[in-house]
Amino acid sequence: MQQNRNVERRTVLKAAGASLAVAGLGATATACGGDSGAGDGTVTIRYAWWGAEDRAQRIKKTIALFEKKYPKIKVKTDFQVYPDFWKKFNTQASGGNPPDVFQNAIGFLRKYDAKNVLLDLSPQVEAGNLSLDGFRAGLEKFGEVDGKLLGVPVGSNSMALVIDKPVYTKSGVKPEQGWTWDDFDAAMKKIREKAGRAGDSGMYGVMYLYDLYLRQNGKAFFTEDGLGFTEADLKAWWAKAEKGLEEGLYADPKKVAQIKPKSAVAAELAAGEFTWDNFTVRYTSEGKSEYGLAPIPTTDGKRTGQYLGSLMLSASKRTQHPKEVAQFIDFMVHEPEVAKIMGYDRGVPATQAQYDAYQPTDPVNKAIAEYEESLVAAGVLEPITPHPNGADICEAAFLRIGDELALGTRTVDEAVKQFFTESKTALGT
Amino acid sequence: MGTTVTHAPATEGLSKDERSEPRHGPADAPSPAALLRRGRRENLAGYLFMSPWIAGFLLLTAGPMIASLYFAFTDYNLFDAPRWIGLGNFSEMFADPRWRHSVRVTLWYVVVGTPLKLLLALGVALLLAQNRRGQAFYRAAFYAPSLIGASVSVAIVWKAIFSDDAIVDRTQRIFGIDAGGWIGDPELIIYSLVALTVWQFGAPMVIFLAGLKQVPRELYEAAEVDGAGKWRRFWNITLPMISPVLFFNILLETIHSFQIFSSAYIVGGGAGGNACGPADGSMVYTCYLYVQGFENSRMGLASAMAWLLLVAVALVTAVLFWSQKRWVHYEEGA
Repeated sequence: MQQNRNVERRTVLKAAGASLAVAGLGATATACGGDSGAGDGTVTIRYAWWGAEDRAQRIKKTIALFEKKYPKIKVKTDFQVYPDFWKKFNTQASGGNPPDVFQNAIGFLRKYDAKNVLLDLSPQVEAGNLSLDGFRAGLEKFGEVDGKLLGVPVGSNSMALVIDKPVYTKSGVKPEQGWTWDDFDAAMKKIREKAGRAGDSGMYGVMYLYDLYLRQNGKAFFTEDGLGFTEADLKAWWAKAEKGLEEGLYADPKKVAQIKPKSAVAAELAAGEFTWDNFTVRYTSEGKSEYGLAPIPTTDGKRTGQYLGSLMLSASKRTQHPKEVAQFIDFMVHEPEVAKIMGYDRGVPATQAQYDAYQPTDPVNKAIAEYEESLVAAGVLEPITPHPNGADICEAAFLRIGDELALGTRTVDEAVKQFFTESKTALGT
Repeated sequence: MGTTVTHAPATEGLSKDERSEPRHGPADAPSPAALLRRGRRENLAGYLFMSPWIAGFLLLTAGPMIASLYFAFTDYNLFDAPRWIGLGNFSEMFADPRWRHSVRVTLWYVVVGTPLKLLLALGVALLLAQNRRGQAFYRAAFYAPSLIGASVSVAIVWKAIFSDDAIVDRTQRIFGIDAGGWIGDPELIIYSLVALTVWQFGAPMVIFLAGLKQVPRELYEAAEVDGAGKWRRFWNITLPMISPVLFFNILLETIHSFQIFSSAYIVGGGAGGNACGPADGSMVYTCYLYVQGFENSRMGLASAMAWLLLVAVALVTAVLFWSQKRWVHYEEGA
C-alpha cells in the first residue's frame, strides 16, 4: 500500500504537471495570437465579413492576391450571414477582441463610433498607406462621420425595382424613368389581371424604399439624431399597403414568410421587389426566370430620391496593425485584379480603376451596370441622409412591424404607434 | 494445535490489502498526526482531480450567474460600462407589449404542450407495458425521437414539413382544409412547435414504463377478483401507484417547456425576417431574451429577463411540490 500510494502521488504530480504545461502552452499561444507578430516581422490581421458561400470563394482569391503582394501580412477570414455577423461582432467587440478589419454599412457607422469601436482612418491616408483618389461619384465621402473617416466603400449600389421580365412583358407593362406611383399602382393591377401574379412582394416594410418616398416629398427617414417623418406620414404609407393587400395586389405575406430567405420574386410569388440592384445576381441564381431592373417610381415624375448605398471596409480601433489594415483596404479598393474577381457581388466597384477593370459580359451584370449608368445620366442621384446611432434597430423594427401589419396581427394605427415607441427607445429620443 | 490456528481466521474476512496493512494492534498504528496528514493528502488529491470541474463551475456557471445578477439591475449594452438603474429593467419589461406577448406565447406553449405530451407518453407506455411480440422494437421506435428531437437538424426538418406546399399542407388539402403552411402563419406556427415537443414523448414514456412495471400484479388480481373493470383498475390502482412517477414527469416536462429555445429559434427563425417567427408568432420567452441580448445589445435587460424566468420556474416548481401532498402516494417500503 505504501508503495501504491507513492505511485499514486507520482501520477498525480505528473498529471498536475502535464495540465500546468498544457495551460502554459495555452497561455503562450494566446499571447502569440493577441500580438500576432512573429519574429520575422510577419503580422496577421483578421478580416470579417457577411455574405454567402459564393462571396467566400471570391474573397479567398482576392486575399491570395494580397498575400502575394504583401508577403509579410497574413489575413485570416471569418464570415457569417448578415444577422449572425453582427451578433458575433458585438460579442467580440465588447470582449475587446474585434476583427482588425471588417465589412460595414452606413447604418452602423454612428452606432459603433459612439461605442468607440471604429478606427479613424484619416491618419493612415495622410501617412500614404491608404489612397482616397479615384473614387467614383464622390464615394470617398461615404464613410465620413463628423470629420472622421470610419469606412472606405468597396462598392456602390442603388435601390431598384428588380422585376421578373417575362411577367412584365406579358402584362404589357413597360416601366420607364420618371414613372409615377399612380403608374406603378396601375401596373400592379395590370399584372394581377394579365399574368395572374401579385405585382410586388411587400414593399411597405422596406425601410430604404420608404426613405426614397419620403425624400421625394422633401423629408427623409432619418435625421442626424432621430426620425425625419411624422406618425401621420407613416400612417398614410401603411394604410396604402393594407389596401393593396386586401385587393390582392401584393403577394400573400404568409407565403412570402415561408420561403425566406429565398426571395418572393425568385419563388414566383411576386413579379417584382424593391431592393438593392446587385441582388439581381442572387435572384438569377435562385430563380428560373429572367430578371431585370426597373426604375423607382416618383411622386413628381422627376425626383426618385435615390442615392448610392455602399458596403464599406472599416477597421477596429483596437487593432495592433493600423498600417497593415490600411494597406489591406487600399489594395481591396484599388487593385484592378480584385474587381475582376469580385464582379458586382458587393455592388459596382467604388473606384474608377476597378470599375474599368471589370467589364461584365453576362446579361445580369450588364443590366446592373446599365442601370447605374442610367441613374448617373438621368442625374437623379442625391447625397445620402445620415443614419443616427440606433438606426439598425429601427430598421429591424420597421421590417418586423411591417410584416405584422401584412400578416394582419396589427392594425395600421397600432403598427405606427409600436414603431414610434420602439424607435424612440432605440434612438434614445 | 488448536491454539496455533486461533489467530489465523481473524484476518480471513479482510481483503488482501487490508491484511498487508493491519488496522488494529498497537504495534504499527500511525500516530493521529500522521493520520491527519494522510487525510489531508487524500483530500488534496481529491480536490486536484476535481479542479477541472470546480474551475469550470466557477468560471462558466457561478461567475456568469453572479455577473448576470448584477447586470439585471443595470443598463448594459456590452460596450459602455454598466449603469445602475435599479429595477428599471423590470419596469420596462412589464410595460413592453412584446414582452407580455412572449409571456403569453410561452404560457400557452407550456399549458397546452406539456399535458398533451404526458398524455401521449402515458398512453403509449400503457400499451407497451403489456407483453407483446416485437415489444422491444416499438419501445426503441417511440423513444428514438427523444434522442434526436433536440437537435438542430430535426428542427430544420420540422420547418420543412410544416412549410407552405409541404407534406402537412398537402395532406390537409386532401381533407379540404386550405390553411397554407403553418410556418408562415402567426397563429399556426406555435402549433408546429407543440407538435414537435409532443412528438418527443419518448423520454417521459420510458419513465412511465418503468413506473408501470413496479405496480404489484397482486393488486390487479385482487381487483379483478372483486370484479373491477379496466377503467376502475386504471383509476384506482395504476394511477395512484404511478403518481410519484407522474409527478416527476410533470415537474421535469414543465421546467423543460419553460426553457424552450432552440426549436423555436430555428423553426421560427428567418420567417418574415424575424428571429421569432412571422409577426412574433413563435416568440417564446427565451427567444425574446435572445433578441434583446444579442440583436439589440441590451444585455442588462436580457439578464433581468433571465432571472425573472428563473424565479418563475422556481415558483411553478414550488407550487407543484406543494400540490404533491394532495395527490402523490408513496408506498411505505414498496
